[in-house]
Amino acid sequence: MSRDRRAPLPPISGRNCDDAWPDYKDVENLKRFLNGSAQIYSRKRTGYCTQCQKALKQAVKRARHIGLLPFVG
Amino acid sequence: MFLLDNAVVREDWKKAKAVIHDAVAKHGGTVKTSRRWDERRLAYPIRGKNRATYVLCYVDIPGANLPVLRRELELSERVLRYLILAADEIPAAEHELSAAENADGFVVPAPPPDDVIEPEPAPAPIDPVEEILAEGELPDDRPRGRRPERANVEVAP
Repeated sequence: MSRDRRAPLPPISGRNCDDAWPDYKDVENLKRFLNGSAQIYSRKRTGYCTQCQKALKQAVKRARHIGLLPFVG
Repeated sequence: MFLLDNAVVREDWKKAKAVIHDAVAKHGGTVKTSRRWDERRLAYPIRGKNRATYVLCYVDIPGANLPVLRRELELSERVLRYLILAADEIPAAEHELSAAENADGFVVPAPPPDDVIEPEPAPAPIDPVEEILAEGELPDDRPRGRRPERANVEVAP
């Protein structure tokens, strides 16, 4: 018996690997990839490839360290 | 990038920058560019401060001296936090911005008191065409998980 499942959330619109490389100083851009609790969205949601998702993770962690982004929203 | 205490910045901007420059020069480094990046409210309090000034510097320093420099910065009460990264090259805009700051007549605005909260920007007006288009799409932030079970409705024969 199949369960009632919803369709997965679509990737964040207009985001792909052709965009600028994630930078820890570009806070407004990084905030687009965080949910309400300041957690990083998954690759499925961001639409990034493995390398870009890792760069995004690194940028968010650097921004958190320097006080630009919260650890917990 | 360095995070400076606003109390030091209020006293004198050049002295505040000299804190970083002296620390770098003490350990055999040379400062290529240095400028005030921003003064803003921190995402979380650091050493009891809610606001601080960010200074972006590009320096040339031997890697062997970095642990000693880090140690000194951690002990400093004027530097709240620092982030040292390797950079392949200095962006062209950094030279211009750094030179503009060092020029005569440049005044660094005094940081506001620590408890000042910026007013939130007004929300952008929604384009009616986009609003109509958005109504036909599923919302992105809808709750996930299983739907609540439907009530059993008896259908009359």
